[in-house]
Amino acid sequence: MNGKNPTKKGLYARLAADNIRKNSQLYIPYLITCCLTAAMLYIITSLSRNKGLIGMQGDYALLEILRVGSIITRIFAFIFLFYTNSFISKKRKKEFGLLNILGMEKRHIARVLFMETLYSAVISLVLGFGFGILLDKLLFMLLRKMLGGSVKLGFYISRYSLAVTAIFMLITFLLIFLNSLRQMHFAQPAELMRGSQVGEKEPKAKWLMALLGAVLLGIGYYISIVTKSPLKAISLFFIAVLCVIIGTYLLFTSGSIAVLKILKSKKSYYYKTKNFTTVSGLMYRMKQNAVGMANICILSTMVLVMVSTTTCLMAGMEDIIKTRYPYDFMVSYGTAKSIDIEKVLKENGVNVTRSQSYTSLEFAAFCKGGRVYAETSANSSASIDDVYELAVLSTEEYGKLVGEDISLADGEILFYSSEKGLDFDSLDLCGKEVTVKERLKSFPNEKTYNITQKMGVVVSGEDEVQRLNEYQQGVYGENASFIQNIYNFDVEGGGDESVKHLLEVCLAGSGRYMMIDVKYSAYDSFISLYGGLFFLGTFLGILFVMETVLIIYYKQISEGYDDKKRFEIMQNVGMSRAEVKRSIHSQIVKVFFLPLLTAGLHTAFSFPLIRRLMLMMNMNNAKLFALCLLACFLAFAVLYALVYSLTARTYYKIVSK
Amino acid sequence: MAILEVQGVEKIYSPRFGGNKIRALNNVSFTVEQGEYVAVMGESGSGKTTLLNILAALDKPTSGEVYLDGIQLTKVKEKEISAFRRDNLGFVFQDFNLLDTFSLRDNIYLPLVLLGLDHREMKERLSPIAKMLGISDILEKFPYEVSGGQKQRAAVARAIITQPKILLADEPTGALDSRSTDSLLHIFSLINANGQTIVMVTHSVKAASHAKRVLFIKDGEVFHQLYRGEMTREEYYRKISEALTLIMSGGEEL
Repeated sequence: MNGKNPTKKGLYARLAADNIRKNSQLYIPYLITCCLTAAMLYIITSLSRNKGLIGMQGDYALLEILRVGSIITRIFAFIFLFYTNSFISKKRKKEFGLLNILGMEKRHIARVLFMETLYSAVISLVLGFGFGILLDKLLFMLLRKMLGGSVKLGFYISRYSLAVTAIFMLITFLLIFLNSLRQMHFAQPAELMRGSQVGEKEPKAKWLMALLGAVLLGIGYYISIVTKSPLKAISLFFIAVLCVIIGTYLLFTSGSIAVLKILKSKKSYYYKTKNFTTVSGLMYRMKQNAVGMANICILSTMVLVMVSTTTCLMAGMEDIIKTRYPYDFMVSYGTAKSIDIEKVLKENGVNVTRSQSYTSLEFAAFCKGGRVYAETSANSSASIDDVYELAVLSTEEYGKLVGEDISLADGEILFYSSEKGLDFDSLDLCGKEVTVKERLKSFPNEKTYNITQKMGVVVSGEDEVQRLNEYQQGVYGENASFIQNIYNFDVEGGGDESVKHLLEVCLAGSGRYMMIDVKYSAYDSFISLYGGLFFLGTFLGILFVMETVLIIYYKQISEGYDDKKRFEIMQNVGMSRAEVKRSIHSQIVKVFFLPLLTAGLHTAFSFPLIRRLMLMMNMNNAKLFALCLLACFLAFAVLYALVYSLTARTYYKIVSK
Repeated sequence: MAILEVQGVEKIYSPRFGGNKIRALNNVSFTVEQGEYVAVMGESGSGKTTLLNILAALDKPTSGEVYLDGIQLTKVKEKEISAFRRDNLGFVFQDFNLLDTFSLRDNIYLPLVLLGLDHREMKERLSPIAKMLGISDILEKFPYEVSGGQKQRAAVARAIITQPKILLADEPTGALDSRSTDSLLHIFSLINANGQTIVMVTHSVKAASHAKRVLFIKDGEVFHQLYRGEMTREEYYRKISEALTLIMSGGEEL
């Protein structure tokens, strides 16, 4: 007779189940998010501990990226779940008020709430884990394939990951539950009944905040456009991001209202049929949704930047490796006499297909006001913007490399710089006045490292190279560079361990000044690094997109309920259905697509700065990056519009019910 | 001259899933003269609201005709119906129906904005009305900042600012306290004295006693009507009460 005479406990459980069913419009998307979040958390935790990835080429970088990624995912998952739930509890205040008035005490409601939370937790963990385990295997195979490993079939369940994810989700749910309790506890029944409709005050324009927002956004954009040095770009990147985020929030919350206030004060504009309801309607919408819109905007920008940069790195990897490693093997050593490596290679049956050998001097130098000089950082007065990596070649070496016969008189140089604006006719080169005979457009092997700005000079002869060498040794002492013998070559088939071993033997005498760069081993570490970043970028991208979609959905629904009454009133006062629909539609479209447009703008302005950062990862293909950005933006915009049209349908259903 | 003519109006609701048809109005006929002030009374479910919706062109009668100033309402095209209502009818509702996103001034301006008037003319039109209704000082306030009585007066201002041929009021005092009710009824008498035709649906005997004529509706038919004529308000009030008691007790024709 359990059904007819339920125990008290059973009553709460049934009430909770009923509530979830009745509020399915709110609950289902929330539960889906919870499930997917649990699945994603399980996957990334499991992958970051997967033994199948250990021992593969570049495993260290990949696992490290996944480990950091799992922490980031957890942080965002927590914020998202909390935020999403706040939509639901806001909408349900009225329901709790009613239960309260009907005689349920707050502790009884708390029990119902607890049961609801428990149900949500169970559902999302069970479904989420099921989905997660399935997908985990798939992604694992994908990652192994990417790293060039073989793929084994069969299931793998990470107990550790299950436990960690379950604990994380349960704690999150518990905190969400406590937060709902807190909200309920402080509210009076009458207040609960009114719920989300409390205090429809017209927002005040906060001019100062709006101005501050515009200024911050301007600073963020300015940093991105102006910053030249890649080293500086790293430190400024976070400042720029912070400026843009805060600026976005301020502009959405205060700036939008300030603009609308101006429009409203223009009577001849405001009192027109098509503007009247739109302007005042937007004002309230912005008041209620500004933060949500700013969230959407920031999330969208993150998705765009993350996915496009990682995609670009992945797609441009061949390019990157080619830039970083123009030859299969790159050898440099510091002995005074050059060694005939080619001969040794030939003797051992290695077929060299292409090679170059030369000597050069490279050291760090400052360039300021027509003066190029070396200085230790301890007593430096110059900024990081003025630091260059200076490569010095003699006319003989340069001529050999470019295949031209070149002669320079004493005191004449050829000058190259990676940065614009250094178009001197004469300059002070480490204490000697020289004239620039010609400005070069490129310099041999200038692109192999991109962390610093580059400068290259071709000087009249060996003596001048010696002079500069002595000069920098005088300044830097123990940390000084040295004149390097460089031998770069390709071999048939790209070479292997044996060639590398041969080189090591051959150069054994040159001590600490020896360096061997090998292209084929770089491949694996690049794939694992960029592949890992690409994987994480897409993974977080999906998480962010999911949250964006959810925020949009809840925004539409909550606005739908608010607009329902307004819709009726406007019709009652003599607006036709079509007119009302048009007015509301124009508001929604503005509210909806403003974040997307702003995100597009942010992404566009982030381009120069991120390009600088990508340079450090040897990604020099601006066209490819621009293409990736554009493609990502278009794909995202299409997705966004799709979500809009789907949620708009729900919205109109609510409004015209 | 009759401004409103209702001829043999019938309204039958057919439930969506079969079942018995519901006859909400049954052969209702009456006329309202220019400048009249008519109250329509009846119990809940008597068909008052259905009648008002038909007069307001929000609903169509199953049979019969309604003429407003000689125009047959059923002949007005669906597309033009909103504009027609906007131009010819003013509405006052029980729950005010003010938009919370607008100040009282903008709420009152709304129909004028829809008409496409210049904002200077709106101001000119509003100022005498606001003075008469005693809301000149609160025009910049928002609905949530003022009392129910003030809200309803703003709603009245919105209804009459378009100079409608007829003002339709649906339980206008239903949500008001007795002081605000008195003040609103006084206002209705005042604007009626200025020549505004009013049709008001109400439960309240007090409200009805301000009208010049009361129509009683029972079971979808006009059951009885009372003219005030030379009666004092008190006498009229008693007469209306008696008539209502009779209707409630199920009595036949008086």
